[in-house]
Amino acid sequence: MAELLTLAVIGAGTYAMRAAFLVTARHQPPAPVRRLLPYIGPAVLAAIALPAFVAPHGSVSFTGTVPGLLAAVVAWMAWRCAKHNLPIALFGGLAAWWLTSWALCAA
Amino acid sequence: MGHLAGGGVSTATQARAPVVTRAYRDAIPVVLAYAPFGLALGATLAATRISPLIAWSSSPLLFSGAAQLLAVQLLGAGTSAGVVVLGALVVNARMLLYGAALAPYTAAWPGRWRWLGAYLLIDPVYALAASRFQGPDSGTARDRLRYYLAAGIILWTAWMALTAAGMLLGGVLPTSLPLDRIAPLTFLLLLLPMLTSQPAYAAAATGGLVAVVTSGLPLGLGLLAGAAAGIAVGGYLAGRRG
Repeated sequence: MAELLTLAVIGAGTYAMRAAFLVTARHQPPAPVRRLLPYIGPAVLAAIALPAFVAPHGSVSFTGTVPGLLAAVVAWMAWRCAKHNLPIALFGGLAAWWLTSWALCAA
Repeated sequence: MGHLAGGGVSTATQARAPVVTRAYRDAIPVVLAYAPFGLALGATLAATRISPLIAWSSSPLLFSGAAQLLAVQLLGAGTSAGVVVLGALVVNARMLLYGAALAPYTAAWPGRWRWLGAYLLIDPVYALAASRFQGPDSGTARDRLRYYLAAGIILWTAWMALTAAGMLLGGVLPTSLPLDRIAPLTFLLLLLPMLTSQPAYAAAATGGLVAVVTSGLPLGLGLLAGAAAGIAVGGYLAGRRG
């Protein structure tokens, strides 16, 4: 029950952060803040993704970093070539990651 | 839909259909891309020492894969509740930014729908909504609300089902299922549609590089450092371009 309570507290805190601006912001933010808003998504999502490609095991290494970065490039290319088809891009990137890791480990 | 609704039923249905259809069309590929992540997360939740029902309850309570993974694994390892709460909330602090970014587009929605919309706000919902709302066919406030709710409800329903299925199939799924590889690729694919200008590329590059350099910081603070740096650089370059 203590674990459920902990999860409920995290859920309430997360909801408060989600709602803080979405629910209360009736007015336009000032221009300097408004200018930053379009860059929140690119900055946050890249900050989540790139460390996992560069240091998938927590540190930079040839056998970890090369497959990760190659997978990112393949997924990006597949996304462009397949007209933004997400599953094709995802599985293309996964295949590149797995194959490169396997090849480097076998070498 | 409160004061946003207008016209008769047939008119409303005709107006609603294209927006909702577009939301389905946009959200279903995201669900497919998220399926391996959701299944693998469910299997991981089932493998902890937490009771399965409580572990799965993190899906409706948190609706956030990264925070669910962190919280349930730390609880299973016997970490104190305060540290678990702090760590998960730091991981989810990006929701503040997402809410701030979408607020200008939601200000005209009736209050009760903004309260519901806040619950549905998560990375893919934000990514879909931001791409649509900032695009040329953003539509009216009512269109935006319908798009957001349709996409959010699809992704929420799928997330509940996928994590439950992952828990039930936990013993069947291969133990080598690459959760650590699926998640970053999924986030990359959510990022790509947002790269529509040089400042957006600069924000992404800066955010990613700073997050790499600061990845050793505790509690995922490197993510926040990267996000702050990327947003600042994107805004600076946008200001210079006028």
